[in-house]
Amino acid sequence: MSVIEVQDLRKAYDDVKAVDGVSFSVEVGEVFGMLGPNGAGKTTTVEILEGLRPRDSGSVGVLGLDPGRDAGDLKRKIGVQLQQVSLYPRLRVAEVIELFASFYGRAGVADHLLTLLGLEERRRAFVKDLSGGQQQRLSVALAMVNDPPVIFLDEPTTGMDPQARRSLWETIEQFKAEGRTVLLTTHYMEEAERLCDRVAVMDHGRIIAMDTPEDLVRAHFAQDAIEFSQRNGLTETEFASLPAVVSASIQGDRVSMFSDDVPASMAALLQLGQERGDPIENLRLRRATLEDVFLKLTGRTLRD
Amino acid sequence: MRALVQLTLANTREFVRDRAALFWTFAFPLLFVLIFGLVFSRDSATQYEIGLINDDQSPQASVLVDTLEAMDVFDLSRGGLADEIASLEDGDRRAVISIPSGWGASIDAGSPMSVDIHYDETRQSTQQVVVPVILQAFESVDRTLTRSQPVVRPAFQTLQSERLSTIDFIVPGIVAFSVMNAGVFGAVNIVSLRERRVLRRLQATPVSRLTLVSADLILRMILVLAQAAILIVVARLVFDIRLNSDAGSLAALAGVVVLGGLAFLAIGFFLGSFTKTEQGFFPVAQVVTFPMMFISGVFFPIEFMPDWLRPVINVLPLTHLAEATRQLMIGGAATIPMGVAVAAMAAYLVVFVALAVRLFRWE
Ligand SMILES: Nc1ncnc2c1ncn2[C@@H]1O[C@H](COP(=O)(O)OP(=O)(O)OP(=O)(O)O)[C@@H](O)[C@H]1O
Ligand SMILES: [Mg+2]
Repeated sequence: MSVIEVQDLRKAYDDVKAVDGVSFSVEVGEVFGMLGPNGAGKTTTVEILEGLRPRDSGSVGVLGLDPGRDAGDLKRKIGVQLQQVSLYPRLRVAEVIELFASFYGRAGVADHLLTLLGLEERRRAFVKDLSGGQQQRLSVALAMVNDPPVIFLDEPTTGMDPQARRSLWETIEQFKAEGRTVLLTTHYMEEAERLCDRVAVMDHGRIIAMDTPEDLVRAHFAQDAIEFSQRNGLTETEFASLPAVVSASIQGDRVSMFSDDVPASMAALLQLGQERGDPIENLRLRRATLEDVFLKLTGRTLRD
Repeated sequence: MRALVQLTLANTREFVRDRAALFWTFAFPLLFVLIFGLVFSRDSATQYEIGLINDDQSPQASVLVDTLEAMDVFDLSRGGLADEIASLEDGDRRAVISIPSGWGASIDAGSPMSVDIHYDETRQSTQQVVVPVILQAFESVDRTLTRSQPVVRPAFQTLQSERLSTIDFIVPGIVAFSVMNAGVFGAVNIVSLRERRVLRRLQATPVSRLTLVSADLILRMILVLAQAAILIVVARLVFDIRLNSDAGSLAALAGVVVLGGLAFLAIGFFLGSFTKTEQGFFPVAQVVTFPMMFISGVFFPIEFMPDWLRPVINVLPLTHLAEATRQLMIGGAATIPMGVAVAAMAAYLVVFVALAVRLFRWE
């Protein structure tokens, strides 16, 4: 059963087509990821689903409700964490949670959520004194005050340290285990690879690929990647013309090459380095990732 | 209901934990009153000006006059009865004592005539301080003249002075002025919540605009009332301003303060819906409130204003609030009838609430 249904959704701001014909659906208990660079239209899409922005056209259903028409009912049932938000600076952490709980007619949820998000020690701290990552965790806690079956998380781990990020990942995995549905946006491919059952890759308001993370990578890259540093200033085309190399991309001084025959390509590469008198450095073999998929599809990285 | 309570609590916490906001809300208007009070008040001296009229040439009368003159707290002024009473009405005398002709003879005859004490009963400190001191002086004269029964029999002649001292006039003005400021500038809360995207986050919850705005209104009304109460109490204690202190007048005053506060808060909400930032809100609010402070009869009567300005003054909300506040606090002749002032404020409230709701934006 689909919890979220989106058909040909469109939304323009003046001449910017923020969302330009997006369709997807999310099943019960699924963690669905939206991946894309800045300005791809992730936030716009998510906020239309949350009933916060009107859409221009297309049909949208969340829990069987139309966010454009039944926003009031919908807001009671969903959990929302917004990308950009600030809270009452002079309220204490526990006070903010109880305040938000009261909007849903609930009380006494602070203890549980503070433990869940690892904020117990900060419960009496003022919001303005929290670190960025702690504010982010509070913001996720607020998405949980009404014990919602569907949770929208817009870049939940941005600004968190690796440890906090891991622990939020565990929390999200727990949501999933409890049968909740999660829609999350992210710039981090490892996050998407670890958490998401399916990801939609967005660019310029469109979904350019959508599948499970493994299938996405497999569909685009049969082989592992050869990655190395170079100082020669060779171009992507020059690398791509090496034997068996399918494609190559350069990010700064890091080069990634995908090859049908890794030993053959590797040998040619090492020889090329030798001839130029500048040996290949930091050479390693790695699996292709969503990042590579993204780069291939859009010619850009997820994070600029 | 729980949401309303929690939101009101949140607003209150935000407010009381903000020292600067606390200071400007309560200390600033007080500072105003104290400065004006010190400039205009003549009551702060520890000497009381007393008018004394002696129409009797008897030795008993001399004893009474000498006794009063010997008292340091009294600054005696000797004049005709009519002049002294006029000075009393102007607030230049605290009391006027008049010894009738034939008083000494009446004591000798065994049936003493009474000595009139005129004072302004609307002045609390006179009643509480000056009159008892005069009575004390009378008793000591009794003891000097006879050993048995009292001979100086006071007769109180009270009056309610028609004319007001400047501070009596100004304090209600300052009350109205600070209600206006608390109202208009109180709306900055919503603007700053919007600017900081807190409203945006609230929009994603089921909380209604009505609850949101009501919570703000409740706190602002409490603040407006507290501010007015503190102002009035301090002005009363320190400068002994005139005040109709019967329960009816005070309740009506509280009503007018709340009505005015709501009207100005609605105006503030209206102005706030045009400004994106807190920084942008203040100049706009200043432009609206500042001129009113000078022409709406806060610090000087609107009769002093040029005729061509009167039509404008007569429609300004602060004019109505100041008039209503002043009438309730000190009585006196109305420039604008009470009913008209209340109706005008109610009209402002309705119109600007409607506009503010229509223009309300979450982001
Ligand atoms: N309120 C708005 N007014 C005008 N333009 C907007 C508005 N909101 C979004 N846009 C534009 O729509 C496009 C998509 O923005 P959106 O915020 O959805 O991107 P995003 O994928 O969430 O990006 P990011 O990763 O930076 O959060 C951008 O070009 C943005 O400038
Ligand atoms: Mg975004």
